[in-house]
Amino acid sequence: MMHWRRALWVILAVLLLGAACVLLYRNGPGGTPFLPGCLFRKITGLNCPGCGMTRATYATLHGDLERAFRLNPLGMILLPIALLGISLEVAGWVRGKPLPFTFKLKRNSGWALLYLILAYWVLRNLPWWPFTLLAP
Amino acid sequence: MQWYYSKGAVQLGPVSEAELKAKIASGEITTSDMVWKDGMADWVPLTRVPELVVTAPAAVQAPPPISGDSASSYIPPVSAPQPGVNYSGQPIPNYLWQSIAVTICCCLPFGIPAIVYAAKADTLKAQGDLQGALAASKSAKTWVRVSIFSWLAIVVFYILVAVIAGVSGTHL
Repeated sequence: MMHWRRALWVILAVLLLGAACVLLYRNGPGGTPFLPGCLFRKITGLNCPGCGMTRATYATLHGDLERAFRLNPLGMILLPIALLGISLEVAGWVRGKPLPFTFKLKRNSGWALLYLILAYWVLRNLPWWPFTLLAP
Repeated sequence: MQWYYSKGAVQLGPVSEAELKAKIASGEITTSDMVWKDGMADWVPLTRVPELVVTAPAAVQAPPPISGDSASSYIPPVSAPQPGVNYSGQPIPNYLWQSIAVTICCCLPFGIPAIVYAAKADTLKAQGDLQGALAASKSAKTWVRVSIFSWLAIVVFYILVAVIAGVSGTHL
C-alpha cells in the first residue's frame, strides 16, 4: 500500500534538490551562499573524496562532462550509481514494499568500496603525477 | 514498529502494527504465515506473537491458554519458510548507497563509519547473524543521519552569516 506522507517527503526533497540545482546552475559554485564548500579542506588543507563535486555538478549541469570527470573522477562514477540505488530503495519505501528488482552488490562489495574510497582519499592528496590528475 | 510478513516464500511489508492487525482480522494473513519485525532474532509463526494473536480470528474461537504457554497450541505451519533458505532474503537494509552518497556529498569524514557499518551489515547477514546485522544496519543509518544533519547545520550557519552580512551591509 502507498504511504502518502512518505511520498510528500520525497516530493519535498526532490523540489529542494531541484531548487539547489537551479541556483547552482545560475550562480556557479562561488556565488551560492548555502553551499559552503568542503569543510574538511578548509580545516586541514587536504582534499577529501568529495572535493570538486560542487564544481563537477556545475559542469555537468552545463553539459561539460569532461571537465566534471577531471574534477572528481570517482565521485562522478559513484554518485550517479548511489543516487540510482537510493532512488530504487526510496521507491520501495514509498510503495510500502520493496521493488521486485533490487540493485544490490555482492556480499563483500561494501568493503571493496570502502577501501577504494580510502585509497582515493590518500592518492588524490599526493603531489606527483599521475596522482595530481585525481585532485580537483 | 514496522512488521514484515510472509505468504509462502514471498516476503511482504513493512506494514505498521495497525495495518498488520487489519490484515489478520480480514484473514489476509493466516495463522500459518510467518511474521518478523526489527529486533526479533528470527521469523516466527503468527501464533507465537501474543500481542498479534489476540486479534486473529482463530484465537477468538480458541479458549485462552491457562498458563499463558502459547507454545502448546503451536502447530508447525506447512507454508512456513525454512530456516536457512529465508536468511538471505531478510529485509535488513544496509544503507550502503546512502553512505556512499553522504561520503561524496557532505565532505565530512562521518561517511566512512557509515560505509563500514553498511559493509558489516551485509557480511553479518550473510553469516546468518541477524541480530548483529540489524545492529550494524542501525549504526549505518545513524552515521548517515549524523553526516546529513551536520552538513545541514553548516549550511544553516552559512545562510545566517550571509543574511547577517546582507542586513548589516558588510562584506565578509
